[in-house]
Amino acid sequence: MAITSQHHSAARGDRQVAEKRAWTWYRLTEGLTPYLLVAPLLILIAIFIYWPLVYSMYLSFFDWNFVRPDKEFVGFGNFTRLPDDPRFIRALWGTLFYTVTLVPLQVFLPLGLALMLWPIRKSRLQDSYRAMLFSPTIIAYSVAAVMWLWIFNPNHGVLNKVLVEFGFDRVRWLSDRDTAIWAIVIVATWKTLGFHMLLYLAALEGVPKDYIEAAQLDGANNWQIMRSIRFPLITPTFFFVLVTTVISVNDDVFGAINVLTDGGPFDSTTNIIYYLYQQGFQFFQIGAASAVAVIVFVATCLLTWVQFKFVERHVHYG
Amino acid sequence: MASAVMPKPAASPTGVRRARGSTLALHVVIAVICVFTVFPFLWMFSTAFKPADEVFTQDLRLIANNPTWRNFPDAFDYFPVAHWLWNSFGIAVITTAGKIAISLPAAFAFARLRFRGDKLLFAMVLATMIVPGIVTVVPNYILISDLGWMNSWIAVIVPSLPATAFFVFLLRQNILQLPQDLLDAARIDGASTVKLLTQIVMPNIKPAIAVVTILAFLGMWNQYLWPLLVLNDFESKTLATGMQFFTNNAESAQMWGPMMATATIATLPPLLLYLLAQRQIIDTFVTSGLKG
Repeated sequence: MAITSQHHSAARGDRQVAEKRAWTWYRLTEGLTPYLLVAPLLILIAIFIYWPLVYSMYLSFFDWNFVRPDKEFVGFGNFTRLPDDPRFIRALWGTLFYTVTLVPLQVFLPLGLALMLWPIRKSRLQDSYRAMLFSPTIIAYSVAAVMWLWIFNPNHGVLNKVLVEFGFDRVRWLSDRDTAIWAIVIVATWKTLGFHMLLYLAALEGVPKDYIEAAQLDGANNWQIMRSIRFPLITPTFFFVLVTTVISVNDDVFGAINVLTDGGPFDSTTNIIYYLYQQGFQFFQIGAASAVAVIVFVATCLLTWVQFKFVERHVHYG
Repeated sequence: MASAVMPKPAASPTGVRRARGSTLALHVVIAVICVFTVFPFLWMFSTAFKPADEVFTQDLRLIANNPTWRNFPDAFDYFPVAHWLWNSFGIAVITTAGKIAISLPAAFAFARLRFRGDKLLFAMVLATMIVPGIVTVVPNYILISDLGWMNSWIAVIVPSLPATAFFVFLLRQNILQLPQDLLDAARIDGASTVKLLTQIVMPNIKPAIAVVTILAFLGMWNQYLWPLLVLNDFESKTLATGMQFFTNNAESAQMWGPMMATATIATLPPLLLYLLAQRQIIDTFVTSGLKG
């Protein structure tokens, strides 16, 4: 009896040990699982986003051309030499120009369009309108630019054909330094019009119907409802569009500049992003390109911070 | 309380007429703007089907006198358009799958699991959204070149994978909205964390996964700067980056028919995707636009 009972308890003990071991193993793997789930993403982010940021800062202190084995340390030389480069100054002007022209065009034009589409939202044509206005958004910027390259063609482009038809002179759209940047502004406006319009329409749809009905009961007319209820309630969207446009507009036009003008004629269509690209990949000035990268990154952080502060203070979520 | 029942203001006949008039005016203005936005597409299609002699005439004709398919085989003969098309598809499909494979588990962990450092790690993922792509281009180019990956799909795919912060955010929002009971019930039945993800979470957030798939595919199909830098061989290009070769030599720069045929091929997948899932895509863009 005693022997069998001992045997029994030993068996139970073994099972307990085994169970405990399995439990520990389970706890361990379950404890590790979250890290295993996020690891692929975080490792890739570390290698291809955070490390390049640090490495850019490092490279910005050196003179290097991709090919030479040795990098020459120049301290802040790459930064202090930038203002001496007339192309850098042109790029700053271009950046300012794109911001000043495209921000209002990309923020207010779609707003006006959304406000015009809103009263006829029940129309059978509404979906077709939206589809047509939205179509430029979903194609590649570079392909869009090729379509416009053909339209702007000085000899056979449709734009000049129309001008000639109406008795005007031909315009050398992309090879004239006065018109080239406007050509890019036109393409960039066309490209984002429908997207921003949809954001505004979605915001208008989000305005609670009770508010509108209450105002109608109080005898408010359509314009008063738009001004005092709808518009204040879509201000978060308005500021969102404003913020993202300011931050990304110079980045966005890269494909258009690259295909339509390559920054020319006479650097009249370049901007800070395009300058970085040319320094790095056309002139192989890695130090200068990295210095610009650092400047662009710091400027983006500052802009984001300022806009957050501003929006926090001035936007009321309905 | 009779006073609570407000009579609706009676619309006068002139008021109705004026409202109809202004509605008509809105339709006219919007229709005109629509014509301007779709015109570049129409002109591209139109040119793609015009024979060479009609491309260079002075008259404005939307539909060719003698429409032709010739421009398509001409484009494929002159440039490796078939390779570009294959590269565009391959890179877009693999990268899309890869982005989902890394962002879905991460989104699940950030939404439903507690672990040391989870908040900090999530913040590090979200912070990547404000890093402009151009800033990381030079170091990544050096890395890819040192690895000997130039001119290969992998050179485009791998560095593009981590640009998924927004997808992680979107998926996490959707996973947070699942009822806790659903997950608890599975837990009590002894499901492991991985089972929870694959058998409970994934089937329940299919619409969000569809949205991310569409966005990721479009983003990769249209990607420009990075493939422009790392795909230098003629045949390794994608459609979005290969098209510029037409403008690079004097002969092909005048081949507007084949150029527009190639542009047509490049715009068709996004446009078809749009026609197939119009509602979904619009909702997708609206949600993605409201990420702020």
